[in-house]
Amino acid sequence: MNIRNIVRISYLPHVLLALCIVWLAGAVRPPHTDSPFDLNSFSELPVLHGGRIKPMDTVARTSLLMLSGKQTLKTPEGRKPAVLWLLDMLFMAERADDYNVFEINDPDVLGLLKIQQTDQRLFAYRTLEPFLEEIEKQASYAEQTSDRTRFQSALLTLFSRINLYQKLQHTMQTAGKENALAEVQTFESGIRSFEEKKRSGITIDLKDENFISLAKILQEYKLVHEVAEFRPIPSPDRPEDPQAWMDIGEAITENAREGGISPSVMSYLEMGDAYRQADPARFNGVLAKYKDSLKQKIPGLMKNVHLEEIFNYSEPFYKSIILYVLVFLLAFVSWIAGTKDLPPALNRSAYWLLILAFVVQTLGLTARMVLQGRPPVTNLYSSAVFVGWGAVLLGIVVERLYRKGIGSVVAGAIGCATLIIAHHLSNQGDTMEMMRAVLDSNFWLATHVITITIGYSSTFLSGFIAVIYLFRRWLDRKLTPQDDDAFAGMVYGIVCFSLFFSFLGTILGGIWADQSWGRFWGWDPKENGALIIVLWNAFIVHARWMNFASTTRIMQMAVFGNIVTVLSWFGVNMLGVGLHSYGFMDQALTWIVIFSVSQLIIIGFGFLPERRTR
Amino acid sequence: MFRQILLFVSGVKFILFCMLLMMILVVLGTVAQVDIGSFAAQQEYFNSFWVYTRTSLGISVPVFPGGLTTALLWFMSLTATLFVRARYDRRHIGIVIAHAGVLILLLGQIFTQILSEETRMVLQEGQTVNYSMSSREVELAVISDAGEGRENVVSIPWEALSGKDEIRTPLLPFVLRIKKAYPNSRLVHAKAGARDVFATQGAGTETAVKEARPSRSDEVSDTASAVVEMVDGGKSLGIWLFSTGLEQPQTVQAQGQAYQIVMRPLRQTFPFSLTLADFSHDVYPGTDIPKNFSSLVRLNDPSKNENREVLIYMNHPLRYGGYAFYQASYGKDDTLSVLQVVRNPAWLTPYVSCTIILIGLAVQFTSHLLQFVRKLQ
Repeated sequence: MNIRNIVRISYLPHVLLALCIVWLAGAVRPPHTDSPFDLNSFSELPVLHGGRIKPMDTVARTSLLMLSGKQTLKTPEGRKPAVLWLLDMLFMAERADDYNVFEINDPDVLGLLKIQQTDQRLFAYRTLEPFLEEIEKQASYAEQTSDRTRFQSALLTLFSRINLYQKLQHTMQTAGKENALAEVQTFESGIRSFEEKKRSGITIDLKDENFISLAKILQEYKLVHEVAEFRPIPSPDRPEDPQAWMDIGEAITENAREGGISPSVMSYLEMGDAYRQADPARFNGVLAKYKDSLKQKIPGLMKNVHLEEIFNYSEPFYKSIILYVLVFLLAFVSWIAGTKDLPPALNRSAYWLLILAFVVQTLGLTARMVLQGRPPVTNLYSSAVFVGWGAVLLGIVVERLYRKGIGSVVAGAIGCATLIIAHHLSNQGDTMEMMRAVLDSNFWLATHVITITIGYSSTFLSGFIAVIYLFRRWLDRKLTPQDDDAFAGMVYGIVCFSLFFSFLGTILGGIWADQSWGRFWGWDPKENGALIIVLWNAFIVHARWMNFASTTRIMQMAVFGNIVTVLSWFGVNMLGVGLHSYGFMDQALTWIVIFSVSQLIIIGFGFLPERRTR
Repeated sequence: MFRQILLFVSGVKFILFCMLLMMILVVLGTVAQVDIGSFAAQQEYFNSFWVYTRTSLGISVPVFPGGLTTALLWFMSLTATLFVRARYDRRHIGIVIAHAGVLILLLGQIFTQILSEETRMVLQEGQTVNYSMSSREVELAVISDAGEGRENVVSIPWEALSGKDEIRTPLLPFVLRIKKAYPNSRLVHAKAGARDVFATQGAGTETAVKEARPSRSDEVSDTASAVVEMVDGGKSLGIWLFSTGLEQPQTVQAQGQAYQIVMRPLRQTFPFSLTLADFSHDVYPGTDIPKNFSSLVRLNDPSKNENREVLIYMNHPLRYGGYAFYQASYGKDDTLSVLQVVRNPAWLTPYVSCTIILIGLAVQFTSHLLQFVRKLQ
């Protein structure tokens, strides 16, 4: 091999890193859309939903995700952004009803709708419409039982999705109404003239036609007020206070009498009107004006909303998944690549990209923390993101110390796997939901939850390093005693680390429990789950310290730690099966079983004779 | 011989065995909570010497060592280790400290499980209360007027009702003959003289009482009932039915004095009282996710000259007089607050022992880490 080749290969890390950075930089710009309507701008309008102010686009994405399991809309003309679907939902219900957005997998639920199961999984509201009464009847049966069949829980899921769908359609106006703007304008002037009459002492004829039509409109918007999914209207006097934000119905019925309807309402209605008449110029004009007024009134909230929108479209966690896969492949190929110069170049590329992926994931985590004003772990979803983050961080440290590609392979695998798990956990809706009263303590979230999650991270890291050891022991003829020592050192060090953090986390949890319920320890499933991880790590440490087990046995124990951790992380949640976790947890059980069996098989490898020649 | 035993119980096989035992017990006790509820699982698995299983013959057979047995094994092993195996030198000081900490933690947990009491205090807004109630145990309270707005209360615990045929006490002029005592029962409306209608006096003369299996659920509380004949100087006054299902006190006249008798949750009275000034319950805007629960109470303790307002809210209990009061629940359109009252004399031990363990682990692992880094360099 000549010198020019070596130079070329040794530049591989630089080239790959530069390519990835260019690719990432492209994602920070707002996405390009085909629509003449300014969708990016509409996406950033603030609304109060689920207890916090968020961009319209987050509502669109989470709602579509809850209905269909996807964040984009599938149409015959290709994928479309969620916010376009939301616009149709809000202002052109008739058109929205034809989109296939309801995910139905259960054959019995399909049977109820007289549909034979094919590979079509998404169905339109139009298809469900004739069966609404039947679905509601079945749902009321299902709600009365606590021990539900698979059909019943699937049906309840569908029912709650239909409910969400209908609420969304009735948030801006009565669903499907063509002339909402004109109607509200008439309503406002009508109410004002009646108020004037009342003030000047003229009695109002209750059978008057005008009065009756006004009362009808009032009734309609009272319904809108009752069912609205989100509140888009800032309060005129306290716009910064989320508590005071109003839904359209409330803003119209309450404010019509006193000093006219809020200009925000009129902006939305006019946007709706322009959207229906396919008049992008008018739509964009009203939108730009409304957004400017918001920027003046609520600059702080608008900044947050803007940040969340960048987070939404740049998809840092999705980008990290791709990078982690790349890292895994590069480091893995470096082990089997034959030539002399390629392995170090690949290994170094993997390490650099690992750091890049870690930086991207850290940015994503930080954005979530800023938006929520909370420590990184607040629910099951964010625990998955953070477990991966912690394992990658430790993996980077391991790779720095040993430089054998082991840290990169394992960090890449865990980083990618945990983010995919997180993605599947996010189907429940907004992942930045508000914290229930007892959990509402940033101090404990930042101490107990973080340490216990780091305990999970490091237990997985040692477990997966052990997996690699068991594979190589079985397959690799060239495994040296130095390699053995390196693996044993890594795994033992990380197990000690896990023991310390899982124990610290468990204690902090006990102290929190003592502060909030008056007992340090209550043998509650979640506490027991944490305790088992502590015990298992202590078991491994004692077995090694007291020279009870060989390196291979220690590795097998570390792999078993993976099962222990998964069970206490997810299995415990499944014991107290709640209504909202039903659908997910059924699927999760299958995966947990598959994972556990795979780990047991890998443990079995440890009993096979070694391949290496001594 | 003794030394050999010490060496055995501090040996690696025994230690690992103890750890496995604990892990299996924790798994079993966790899974059992799905079927029998967390309180029962705690009692049967962790707060017991043996875990029993009911065979088809109706006999309970011990199948697995319970929490207390496991804790004792750990205790033996740890003490033995500290005596015969531990090396008290600079390199091993962290290990010794950590294990001493685990020993204290273990003892603290055993004491807590044996000594701690949890009761509930229910307060309406404006109401002043100086007692809390057990959520499981009951008492038969005999209340008489002591003048000046005060009452005499004679509390007969359930153990006495179920264990004795007759209760005589100098505190009461009459004798209680216990005819029946059911820890759990069903009350059914029936005609006087019908089957299972025992009472001839009071509120239970048209109530049939049927024995039921004690429930082990966390949500449902049992209806304890007792059928009691009152005898005054050898003369029967009649037979009464007392039950937690009959909440109103019933009157018994004896020797010119009226006694109000009621079966109720066992009460724990305090030398101080709490008055609920206000209960509040906030939700996040536009949702029904609870944001905060809090009870504003006035604490009044004449003996200590304390009279002040206290705000009890999530993660912020009131600790007073050896008790801790926690916000637990609420009801009646947010006008009623339920406080969990905990007395646990050993509450400090986990704090102390865990600090010791953490120091030990930190010392040990740091020295390992330093060694490792030196080796790498």
